[in-house]
Amino acid sequence: MRLSDKKKMETVFISKLKPFLDAVAEQMELYAPKKVGDYYVFQRYDSSLEVAVEFNNIRACTPVKEFLFPLRELAAVFPEPVEPEDIKPFAIFGLKDCDLHSIEILDKVFLEAEFEDPFYVARREKMFIISSDCFDPGESCFCNVLDGKSYADSGFDLNVAQVRDGFIIEIGSKKGKEFIEEHSQLFTEVPEALLNERDENRTQTQKQLEQNNAPLKFEAPIRDVMTETQDSDVYDQEATTCVECQACTRVCPTCHCFYLYDTKQKDYFGKMKMWDSCMRLAYAQVAGGANPRKVLGDRLRHRLMHKFAYFLDRYGLNMCVGCGRCVDAETGDIDIRTVLRKLNEELRNKKETKAAK
Amino acid sequence: MNQNPYKPINGEITSIIDESPTIKTFVVVPEEKFKFKTGQFVELTLPGEGEAPFTPSSSPAETKKMDITIMKAGRVTALLHQCKKGQKVGIRGPYGNGYPVEDFVGKQVYIVGGGVGLAPIRSLFLTLVDRIKDFKSVVCRFGAKTPDDFIYKNTLFDSWQKIDGVDMKLTVDEANNKWKSNVGVVTTILSANDVNIKNAVAVVCGPPIMMKFTTLKLLEFGFKPKDIYLSMEKNMSCGIGKCGHCMIGKYYVCKDGPVFTYEQIKSYRNIWD
Repeated sequence: MRLSDKKKMETVFISKLKPFLDAVAEQMELYAPKKVGDYYVFQRYDSSLEVAVEFNNIRACTPVKEFLFPLRELAAVFPEPVEPEDIKPFAIFGLKDCDLHSIEILDKVFLEAEFEDPFYVARREKMFIISSDCFDPGESCFCNVLDGKSYADSGFDLNVAQVRDGFIIEIGSKKGKEFIEEHSQLFTEVPEALLNERDENRTQTQKQLEQNNAPLKFEAPIRDVMTETQDSDVYDQEATTCVECQACTRVCPTCHCFYLYDTKQKDYFGKMKMWDSCMRLAYAQVAGGANPRKVLGDRLRHRLMHKFAYFLDRYGLNMCVGCGRCVDAETGDIDIRTVLRKLNEELRNKKETKAAK
Repeated sequence: MNQNPYKPINGEITSIIDESPTIKTFVVVPEEKFKFKTGQFVELTLPGEGEAPFTPSSSPAETKKMDITIMKAGRVTALLHQCKKGQKVGIRGPYGNGYPVEDFVGKQVYIVGGGVGLAPIRSLFLTLVDRIKDFKSVVCRFGAKTPDDFIYKNTLFDSWQKIDGVDMKLTVDEANNKWKSNVGVVTTILSANDVNIKNAVAVVCGPPIMMKFTTLKLLEFGFKPKDIYLSMEKNMSCGIGKCGHCMIGKYYVCKDGPVFTYEQIKSYRNIWD
């Protein structure tokens, strides 16, 4: 949506965040960002505390998938079925455009018509999304390279943008609209000047993102860069420093591999679903010992091909949102942007050699 | 709550047949109605212990029970081998595409199998011979390590060979003094004259190394990659195209396979590992 159209979206104004978030917390469990060290993490919002609410400049360092697809959950019980845990409505404040894109990606997988994941569905239905505009992008943010932005156009119930005198709240869904209407006494009309200020902020942040990521320019669409260099040695070279800590897949908001395993409890047998990582050696190994990705470089190749080619071919979306969490979390110093850049260089060299012939 | 795809239905092992020193066939009776297409697979749970994917070896026409032939290869299969008659199990599925039997109609079906790879092939074989007149012929070339390692010996060495329209040859890597047929790996009994390649499809199932060399041989004979059907063994876990373990390139073996044409997967790395 263009900026000019966006102004027509319903917006309201509030001068302080606390009364707004208190109202949300009164209705449901609310999680809000809290700065710990250099990073934001989501914490349960406590309206009794008098501390000022933090408005995060960029995404939290933890992925939103935790709220929809927990690290570990009981997926089935037998022989006798039991009722699944009742999910209470919950809200998250401070999600960014990249987070919303990651939800869109997870939706493709877990809401796929043929095999819906009922646990994901239950959480997704109860989730109230309050996104917010980014400002002062992080060093690892490269969402603009993957069609992401510093602010969200859609995918939220409410979106908050900070301006000089307060906050502009935009309504993005029926659920969001109902909430605003129920609490209309909290909000006022947005002065036109503030809307202009918000749009100016957005343009500035976007410009900054583009400047920061100027070196990431591609010869061709990323998918084509990837497929044309799929046998590249770059993967082996870049993977040499990998220590298989799996941090990249843990913090990745779109990585959704899991491991299904059986457990014996006192009064039932259960099937557990737990996050897994394709960077792990035994990940694709079969009982007889065969393993198509014994070599680390092949695992890195698969992970990135999945993100930028396979998923796109299947679902029409890149499976990377450019949030840069993996860059921040990386113990082994693998920077996904460097890998992409090197593959692009390789493609360019290939083309130049071909042209020279 | 929607239907839970992770929840198995209950079943029971009603009998166990020793096939070879390392392979047993478990007859499993599901408590609920359960239908599958030949070549599809199921996830068999040993409650509290683990789950593993297997392609039933019985004909889909048999709806009350299914045979699951299992080689002792890993943790779950070793535990299954210790099970006794009456053991409760869980069954999820069926998953995947199965063999496109209708596409085989009017053609020669050239089946090359090795070791426990004969399990899915038995299901396909029984399906084909049920309506053998629909196919030009069924040409089987099967191999095992030793004569003892062949599974389904009772039928394989006898009644299956006598079916009209079936042409069968067997081979072993290592013979014993009773063995009268060929000695050598399965590719040593393949010949370009076995079938009329222009009107034939090949179906291959066996250990990775055997699948690799059989495929190369078939290509050498002139088979088109789209006419070679491979049953891919990967680490299928969720069965519903989500958990990621079984991916070959963009394909989920559990959903898009386990049967692929060589054409579909030939460009991906390490498909035989």
